[in-house]
Amino acid sequence: MPDPMAALSAALTMAGTGIATAWAEKVVGGATVGAMAEKPELFVRGLILMVIPETIILFGVLIAFLLLSHVG
Amino acid sequence: MSRAVIAGPRDKLPQCIEVLHELKLIHIVDHHGEDDTFRIGKPLAPAAELSDNLVKLRSIASILAIKAPPKEKERIRIEELRQKVLSLELNISEEDAARKKAEGLLGDLERRIDELRPFASIGLPLEAYRGYESLTVIVGRVARDIPGFEDPMPVAEVFRGPGVVAVFVPKASSEQALALLGQSGLTQVDIPAGEGSPQALLDAAVADRDKWKARLEEIQGRLEKMRERYAAFVVAAEEALEVEVDKAEAPLRFAVSDHSFVIDGWVPSSRLGELGANIADLGVYSEFGDKPKADEDVEPPVLLKNPKPVKPFEMLIHLYSTPNYHELDPSLFMLVAFPVFFGFMIGDAGYGAVFLMFGIIALRWLPKESDFRRLILIIALGGFWAFAFGLFVYGEAFGLVFHLPPGAPPEELSWDMFGLHFPLEALIHKTLNIGEMFYISILFGALHLGTSYAMGFVNEIGHSRKHAVAKIGWFLCLFGIFTILTRTLSWTRVGGWVWNTALAWFPRTLEPWGLGNLLGIGIPLVSVVLIFAAFLGLVESPIAPLEIGGLLANLLSYLRLAGIGIAKATIASTFNTLIFHSFIIEHDALTSVAGFFLLFLAHVVIFLLGGVSAAIQGVRLNYVESFTKFFRGNGTIFRPFGVREPLGV
Repeated sequence: MPDPMAALSAALTMAGTGIATAWAEKVVGGATVGAMAEKPELFVRGLILMVIPETIILFGVLIAFLLLSHVG
Repeated sequence: MSRAVIAGPRDKLPQCIEVLHELKLIHIVDHHGEDDTFRIGKPLAPAAELSDNLVKLRSIASILAIKAPPKEKERIRIEELRQKVLSLELNISEEDAARKKAEGLLGDLERRIDELRPFASIGLPLEAYRGYESLTVIVGRVARDIPGFEDPMPVAEVFRGPGVVAVFVPKASSEQALALLGQSGLTQVDIPAGEGSPQALLDAAVADRDKWKARLEEIQGRLEKMRERYAAFVVAAEEALEVEVDKAEAPLRFAVSDHSFVIDGWVPSSRLGELGANIADLGVYSEFGDKPKADEDVEPPVLLKNPKPVKPFEMLIHLYSTPNYHELDPSLFMLVAFPVFFGFMIGDAGYGAVFLMFGIIALRWLPKESDFRRLILIIALGGFWAFAFGLFVYGEAFGLVFHLPPGAPPEELSWDMFGLHFPLEALIHKTLNIGEMFYISILFGALHLGTSYAMGFVNEIGHSRKHAVAKIGWFLCLFGIFTILTRTLSWTRVGGWVWNTALAWFPRTLEPWGLGNLLGIGIPLVSVVLIFAAFLGLVESPIAPLEIGGLLANLLSYLRLAGIGIAKATIASTFNTLIFHSFIIEHDALTSVAGFFLLFLAHVVIFLLGGVSAAIQGVRLNYVESFTKFFRGNGTIFRPFGVREPLGV
């Protein structure tokens, strides 16, 4: 059954997880750049830590996708 | 690698070093533990003189500002080097001293000229500014003129020049005068030393400066000529000397007693014979060990041996960590995984072709040993897969599909509309078949993680059985999760094929406890049993079962492949639709030209953004999701004595 609230929920999921990812990456990224200024060889470790929060928005995409099947 | 120990009488040490340096075969293990018999060796006799020469040469190179190595190299004879370096140093240090003197004098003269200039424009002789008991002299630059200064201060006498003012006031009124002048933006200047007309002094200083400038240019010309003449010698001599110093200081890494020496190191096992044959005539004793076993507590250096196409990927491995001696080198694994991920994310024949083109340019024109070249080659290989995926799977080039699929929005464009009919049909439309994209991502993830666990098993089996069993447990758990996801997504074409054909043997019976109803999906009984295999991980760590959630997150993390693929395709298609409809289709020629320019810019942006994000995500999936399952790293690169950079043998 088509559910208009599902569309709104999908949008909220994307917005929420997007903001959460951005926030987490901001914190990690800032710290990484700071650490790299002292030890440039931390680049790879920094990069890895920096992209870890992206999984949050991926779960957002998955849930939004599941919700969209209810939009009709 | 095999352990090699070479021992001999001390008088044979120089010849032994010479031969080992020439062979470039042994990775020396530095001697640390001092005891009464064996101490750390002392440098050979010529080391002090060689180092001294090297320091002198480096100072010469720095004075002559020699940076890039010249094309032609000179042959150097170490015996003649000392004399040549000394005479060159003498010549150059004379010129250098002359240059420094000229530069110092020029600086002084410039300051003197700056000091004199305001006084020259006022015109009073310099002695007129000094020697008063009851007067204060204020001289300075002013931002604005001070026309009515004498009105409030009739006692003051003022001399003006362009932008300069000299004020003579009684000492009692000096505060008031300074305050007034401050309003005009006065910056005071010191009265220069000397007597007589400042103009004449200024002229003399300018003449002096010009004379010294000419002299400095002359000296610099001579230094330039010297650089041209000696650059080849200096660079070649520096290289030759570095090699000699390396040899002369080598005993610092050996164990030496009063009458003998011991060299400890690692040699590639396949070349032990070569080393043995070469040192046999020296009259020294050598002993070679067997290859160390996986459970031995020794860490030999690592020499990665890969075919040429895999070589660039070694860079990505070293960036993470050098593999240790007892584990598999993941370079080949990365050669397969990274480009396929990259290609799947970009998935566009047009962009893929451009990436490939950059690869060809890098292959032909960039210097062989540069990291930048390696990076471009890695990306170009991804470009090949992007081209293949774009052509055969997505039917798409530069964000435009070859043929419009049924159900596409009416404003969407295709190559058909421009009269280009590709004979290839798209298997998947990125924005319409999101389920397919998701499932293929999960499939790639399962294959990638499964291979990682398999490699982890191989790495651990010789080392610790317990850890190897845990890897099997995790592999089965992954398979269990994968079967549930495949069953859930079996309505997609690829998922349907995997579930009904590839996994046709998999028992379909659902679990009886109603877990599936809770989640709204069907869960096969065997999948649950397989997931419980993660408890085998308990032999490794007591919190292993908690990691099942982590593994699910790892697998779902591969959804980024689909996510970036869809996002990139959507951005490209949006730009195409917007620009073609608003600027090009049914518009005049001028607007069309502007439209094509905009289109070009838009595609450059998508190309760069897509390339960067696909590369970072591709690397991340390897580093974070996969390497953590099997790769420990912390190895030492094999760096044989005699080779200055890490090289293959």
